[in-house]
Amino acid sequence: MSPDLVILCAAGMLVTAYLMVGQKALFVAIRLYGLQSILLGVVAVAMALTDRRPHLLESAALTIGLKGLFIPWFLMRTIDRIGIHREIEPLVNTPSSLLICLGLTVAGYRVSTGMAQGGEGAAHHVIGVSLSMLLMGLFLMVTRRKAVTQILALLTIENAVFLVALGATSGMPLVVELGISFDVIVAVLVLGILVRRIVDRFESMDVSQLSKLKG
Amino acid sequence: MAGETRWPLGMTQSLGFGLLQAALLLAVAPLLRGVIKKMKAAFQARQGPPLLQGYYDLGKLLRKEPVRSETASWVFVAGPRVYFATAVAVTMLIPVLFAGAPLEEAGGILVLVGLLALGRFALAIASLDTGSPFGGMGASREMTVAALAEPALMLGLFSVALWGGSTSLGELARATSVRGPSGHPSELLAAAALFIVLLAEAGRVPVDNPATHLELTMIHEAMVLEYSGPDLALVEWASALKELVFMTLLVNLFLPLGLAASADPAAVAVSGALYVGKILVLAVAVTLVESTNAKLRFFRVPELMAVSLGLGFLALAIRFL
Repeated sequence: MSPDLVILCAAGMLVTAYLMVGQKALFVAIRLYGLQSILLGVVAVAMALTDRRPHLLESAALTIGLKGLFIPWFLMRTIDRIGIHREIEPLVNTPSSLLICLGLTVAGYRVSTGMAQGGEGAAHHVIGVSLSMLLMGLFLMVTRRKAVTQILALLTIENAVFLVALGATSGMPLVVELGISFDVIVAVLVLGILVRRIVDRFESMDVSQLSKLKG
Repeated sequence: MAGETRWPLGMTQSLGFGLLQAALLLAVAPLLRGVIKKMKAAFQARQGPPLLQGYYDLGKLLRKEPVRSETASWVFVAGPRVYFATAVAVTMLIPVLFAGAPLEEAGGILVLVGLLALGRFALAIASLDTGSPFGGMGASREMTVAALAEPALMLGLFSVALWGGSTSLGELARATSVRGPSGHPSELLAAAALFIVLLAEAGRVPVDNPATHLELTMIHEAMVLEYSGPDLALVEWASALKELVFMTLLVNLFLPLGLAASADPAAVAVSGALYVGKILVLAVAVTLVESTNAKLRFFRVPELMAVSLGLGFLALAIRFL
């Protein structure tokens, strides 16, 4: 039962990452990120219960609380304040992005079979999904112009890395976990402020504006 | 049916069973639409039409005299009939209450997709027949969406077929109800792809709005604008049936819980109750999507369908990785 649940949630995370690439409304993307983090938390809980690794429960609680609830709430507030709700012109249009992400997923899955524990079973799927998500996050980051989407891409990569850690190792010590979570929060807070500064200054969230000289 | 049913059934048995199943789904289909309408109304704090409104509408339309344009040829008359006939034929290819389909000897996934395409083609060509601009517009839009939904549907179904080891839907239902879900990520990806296909094929909100006749946005309604009386009743009934068929496929292929293996009354009762429950859950999901999303601009619909196609492709591809 539990390996099934882990695989199901990992697949759910892949679906949310894919949907994130496929649509443009920022608030939907934020909700998808929240859902993805909650699924990640469920994966951690399931692994904690099956493999008797109780310290994973703490990371699961951290994941659900911070990444599933707090960060989405904070980002929602940020886009509400600045009043920009859509990713207007990504550098690559949506159908091509989706096609590229298909390729990335296949590549991620293929690469995962080369890892020590990636050969078979639940670990294969977990590592495959997380490598695919990692690649998709990187792709989102380089092709989207809006600062909020780039933050979400960064957070997706962070989720992917956490998922790899769950699948390939027996999880990290709590201290490391706390440090990472704290880093993520600080990063999001700082980036949130940065986004508002960019919007104040340029009246747009388009990061390509930043490369223009303004006197 | 006899107690010791073995699949595949004999000729007469499967025909009788097929007719029974078709009649059952035909009887239930308008109710499903009523239930979704009612839930949607509840979301908007309205009372909504009565649950049986679909039946009243069909009854009213069937009693009326059809009004047809003078320029209409036999194609116009044949369209709704072919559409209705294909929808009824499809009901006999899918597992509903039993872990098997009545006419599974006649064909599986490919026949299902082909029959649906035939019905759609008949209706589209019929709507072009009178030369009304709305008909042409509706037909072109419907075909645009269908051209993208169909490959997604096939990819999603094939990824299930790959695991079940057969393209016959009855066989698949038996395989999955015996072995349980495959515990492979591809399952969820295929289910997500087919859910988006369901929204598109049933003309639900992100793709089409079944509640309005606004000329800028309508797809299905534009296509059948010229029809009246019994012709319209056939089209509406077949559309409701198609929606129920898609939902049945989705729940029975991905959640084949409690499908009856024989005609034992207790097993059939359990399977019936579970079936109603599963369809209701799916109807709630559809209502949620309809109530929380705005209809997409038509030129954004291909993006949604591309998501569905991509998920379907992934579902198939990662079975091999």
